[in-house]
Amino acid sequence: MTVAAEAKEWVKMERLSKVYPNGTVAVQDVNLTIREGEFLCFVGPSGCGKSTIFKMITGLSGPTEGTLEVMGTSPKQARKQSDTAFVFQDHTLLPWSSVIDNVSLPLALRGVSRKARKEEAERALELVGLKDYTKAMPRQLSGGMKMRASIARALVSKPKLLLMDEPFGALDEITRQTLQLELLELWRRDPRMTVLFVTHNVFEAVFLSTRVAVMTPRPGKVAAMIDVPVPFPRDETFRTTPEFGDIVRSVSEALKH
Amino acid sequence: MNEELVTETVGGSGVRPVPMKKAEAARRAKPFGSSRLLRALPPVAAFAVFVGGWELVCRLSGIKPYLLPKPSDIVRAAAENASNLWVSVYTTISEAVLGFLLSIVLGVGFAIALASSKLIERSVYPYAIIMQTIPIVAIAPIIVIWFGAGINAIVIIAFLIGFFPMLSNTLIGLNSTDHNMKNLFHLYNASPMQTMFRLRIPAALPYVVAGLKISCTLAVIGAIVGEYIAGIGGGKGGLGYAITVSAARLQTAYLFACGLSASLLGIAFYLLVNAFSKWMLSSWHESEMNASEG
Repeated sequence: MTVAAEAKEWVKMERLSKVYPNGTVAVQDVNLTIREGEFLCFVGPSGCGKSTIFKMITGLSGPTEGTLEVMGTSPKQARKQSDTAFVFQDHTLLPWSSVIDNVSLPLALRGVSRKARKEEAERALELVGLKDYTKAMPRQLSGGMKMRASIARALVSKPKLLLMDEPFGALDEITRQTLQLELLELWRRDPRMTVLFVTHNVFEAVFLSTRVAVMTPRPGKVAAMIDVPVPFPRDETFRTTPEFGDIVRSVSEALKH
Repeated sequence: MNEELVTETVGGSGVRPVPMKKAEAARRAKPFGSSRLLRALPPVAAFAVFVGGWELVCRLSGIKPYLLPKPSDIVRAAAENASNLWVSVYTTISEAVLGFLLSIVLGVGFAIALASSKLIERSVYPYAIIMQTIPIVAIAPIIVIWFGAGINAIVIIAFLIGFFPMLSNTLIGLNSTDHNMKNLFHLYNASPMQTMFRLRIPAALPYVVAGLKISCTLAVIGAIVGEYIAGIGGGKGGLGYAITVSAARLQTAYLFACGLSASLLGIAFYLLVNAFSKWMLSSWHESEMNASEG
């Protein structure tokens, strides 16, 4: 399940820099090419610019220098094509809407018909194991279930690029590990879906990804790119292999620079 | 067994035991029902003591009824003038409801307009705040000059007094939408209209409801103030008119009856709005959740 070298260049950063008006260098000289079908984790401490890179990929803010291409076009244009989906640390479910209405929101905003919306939302909810909770209100769900609903909302539009910003950061360790396995399963079902995942948890990054981008702060830079050449499907036993320990160690080493 | 239990609780609190049907007894014997009954008892007892004491003091000291009427005088005055009192209450209700509805529609409408454009908000909102600080009594005569004495002027006064709380509460609500949610809508390419109707307005509902609770009692006050000033010329005067007339004639007992009716009206308005807010928000908002979950 390694990504072939000839796969399309899905996100391409060249000498990408972002300097905020107050002079803070959030991101400096990042060169990175992400190919279709990859699962790439950005790992680093807070303030290393990983969220800034994310904002630039979503088109929420522009780079001050360098170029950034998403799916062969500008980030804003890519977002307009609705092939990108988002999951944040905060589940951002609308508290006044039922689970199914929340999940179908991206489709509703695009004007998809009610019937098609319902079908797609039910499919997405089935994928994350929430098909018995379509009518529930968000407050009736546990933290893990809210995050599943949030992931279902991202998957409802069958995205080609899934951007996840510390999605499991607020969950307990046990729920977090379960959701990591489920996420990998979802990603494997759709071999063309590219996932960019921001985390500050080294174990999470190594467990999930095909490649880890290690970022260091002040100024935000990619200190190392570390391959995780372990085939999928991965399961809980991977966490205890010596190989896992070795990769975690090299990522941790790179973080110290 | 249930019946015994109920008789015991009620009898034990010093109230005459009431014979109850079995089903009702069972219902009241539920921990929730009986605790509610017990909780209602102290205020009811305090009320009885207060009214009884008032009656007693008046009877014993021989205070002139035009200075302080006995509770029994007030009830008699209300009963004797029941039809007049009802016309007054009805008039005031219709004025207050009209004014209140106007303040909701225009308050929420203006708030949405202000919230959709920062430019409009920046240019208009400061004046809205300044206007809010003008005491309504000070501008009421102008309104009477413009719209003539009678129901038009009264409704406008009731509307004006409730308008600003609606406007500012709704506007605060519309502007305090969660930042992450707004980002989400932006990332999914929502139009400003979609963001307004699917996100900002629903998120502002708790604030709108808070505004409703303030405005509904203010509308009653506004209607009565309006009647003080503008009701004299109208055919059927409302409570405010009845109060000025009975005060001038020293019909103190009827004056009390009118005042009590006015406050009951305010309470009824508030309870209605409160019930509405529970119904609106109970499924999702913290402020109304505990009550529905118990």
